[in-house]
Amino acid sequence: MNEAFDRRYEENMLQGGTTCCPGCGGPLFWKMALQALGPRTVIYGDGPCAMCAIRNIKIPTFNLHFSFVADGATGIVNAFKAKGWDDITIVSSAGDGATGDISFGKLSAAAERNENMIQICVDNEAYMNTGIQKSGLTPYGAWTTTTPGGKESNKKDVPLIMAAHGIPYMATVSVAYPRDLQEKLRKAKEIEGFKYIHAVIPCPTGWRFDPAKAVEVSRLGVDTWAWPLYEVEEGVLGMSRRPEQKPVTEYLKAQGRFRRLSEEQIEYVQATVDERRTNLLAMEGKRIIL
Amino acid sequence: MSFTRMMEGNEAAAWGAKLARAEVVPAYPITPQTELISHIATLIENGTMKAEYIKVEGEHTAMAAAIGASAAGARVFTASSSQGVCYMEEALWMPPGLRLPIVMCFVNRAIAPIGGLRPDHNDSLLQRDNGWIQLYCENSQEALDTILMAYKIGENRDIYLPVAPCYDGYFVSATATPTVVPDQEKVDKWLPPYKHELYSLHPDDFRRPPRPMNIAEGRYEVQKAHERAKQVIEDVDRDFKKVFGRGYDGFIEEYRCEDVDAVLITMGSMTGTARDVIDMMQEDGKRIGLVKLKGFRPFPSEEFREIAKKYQAIAVVDRNTSYGSAGGGIVSMELARALYPMDDRPLLLNFHVGLGGSDVTLRQIEYMADKTLEAAAKGKVDEAVDWVELHDLGEVM
Repeated sequence: MNEAFDRRYEENMLQGGTTCCPGCGGPLFWKMALQALGPRTVIYGDGPCAMCAIRNIKIPTFNLHFSFVADGATGIVNAFKAKGWDDITIVSSAGDGATGDISFGKLSAAAERNENMIQICVDNEAYMNTGIQKSGLTPYGAWTTTTPGGKESNKKDVPLIMAAHGIPYMATVSVAYPRDLQEKLRKAKEIEGFKYIHAVIPCPTGWRFDPAKAVEVSRLGVDTWAWPLYEVEEGVLGMSRRPEQKPVTEYLKAQGRFRRLSEEQIEYVQATVDERRTNLLAMEGKRIIL
Repeated sequence: MSFTRMMEGNEAAAWGAKLARAEVVPAYPITPQTELISHIATLIENGTMKAEYIKVEGEHTAMAAAIGASAAGARVFTASSSQGVCYMEEALWMPPGLRLPIVMCFVNRAIAPIGGLRPDHNDSLLQRDNGWIQLYCENSQEALDTILMAYKIGENRDIYLPVAPCYDGYFVSATATPTVVPDQEKVDKWLPPYKHELYSLHPDDFRRPPRPMNIAEGRYEVQKAHERAKQVIEDVDRDFKKVFGRGYDGFIEEYRCEDVDAVLITMGSMTGTARDVIDMMQEDGKRIGLVKLKGFRPFPSEEFREIAKKYQAIAVVDRNTSYGSAGGGIVSMELARALYPMDDRPLLLNFHVGLGGSDVTLRQIEYMADKTLEAAAKGKVDEAVDWVELHDLGEVM
């Protein structure tokens, strides 16, 4: 029994403690991701709070500040190339604000150069590290300290924008579906070039829900089609899950940040979710890069 | 094989990066640095140089990629100018604190809006506080040689600091002067491959320097490295001269300073012009000499105190501005602090000239030299800070 426990502990690369909030999806995500990626991985990242999960891990990490998305990893990728070290996976990670706002150009450029790395967006849908401020990836209607009346514009659709770069692989993932998440990372690891993985990470502190319910809330995100799981491989769209659609209110009502949404606003959210669902299903199996 | 030919500063610098065997070159074009990175691209394309050239989308990324590559174990070279340096600013603070010996050329150019494409030194001097070693070059040869020395200095285990060889846009970057390109084997023997003892991002050998226990201690470490760098720079320069036959007297070069009453202090390309003026004036019996400032960071305070004893007046020729400063340009303020502890200080004058890349003419240098000699004779400075270009010196431009 003890031996099995020790082995399990050794295999789990997420050890040494984290400084994440209780119920944060970050440690969950990284535990699953690192298991899929294996120990011959280097992780580069900026400073979103979900990265606090991997401050003390054993595999090499290197981080700069928040405005440095994919760029330092580009240096690492090219240094390893120059050295001829070709059996190591370089992972670059950034939060939603870094990915969608301040370093969006860097992300786009690394994709255009097709740098051989896995770029992960650890998306908790606001600047949570600084205390819940709106980012470009905050969803419509969500309360943050800079959108006290709810966000007025929509969430930037970074996954599709990244797919439009014609990169070899793009996928959305959720911590509520670990097998799907790990399969996608294992697939990304085998593909040469720029891979983009977008994970919406539940944030009890910023989304206003009971820390015990992180997985539950994440699952509702997928099952209401608010956060559909799909991939775009060589330009072809593939749906990873086609859950029976639950009303989006179930997802919204589970979180305090959407508390002030009016009926009309909820209808609007439902309509946008329905439209995306329809379009995704219509395009499934087709090449979506024009 | 070593060869000599007329070469612009940018091409010479590209050869410097090649001879140093830079392994990763992340770069973004900006005038007047552009030919440097195009030359590197050509050297890689035609197989002369072996390196990963990353064509990044901006200077901020250029430096960030340099940081990642340097930490990952590769020797890195990059370059920028002016607006590009400003855009890179956030990233430029990282390598000194992270102790990464990146080499980046500053191809000096004025900063907008009251600037232009031509050089002054405000872009590199903007970096005076962030821990980069700065070495200023007068011509193509010095640019090439300084890049080689830069790696040797920065990669010294007692230093581990980024180094910036700086040279003026156009006057050096685009002016061909005879340049010796040394033999690769000779360079290889002199400059061993890069191996950072504190860093490795390889999974089999992961090492990273420990975070300092407190912030002051961390910063003091960088300060101490700068202080140690003084000796290392002197040693590397001497050693370079022994092996390659050319040296630059470490931080400051005294040019024709025997039996003079006063000296001008210059930096960068104007030094060449100043040498001619000093020659002519000494022929006329005027007791004026020239001091070329090569090393600005670390600042050679002791060296200046040592030589300052000999002169009645010292004039700093500042090709930069520091609006609202304690008095004059950046170099002049540095020097004032360096000389302050002396019991018997020489008079200190300051001239602003060549701003935004306007020519620094023979006549202007003569004017500055005369003013300095006048102060030395009178024992008094009438005008502490003089904007030379605002005077009509009777020149037909």
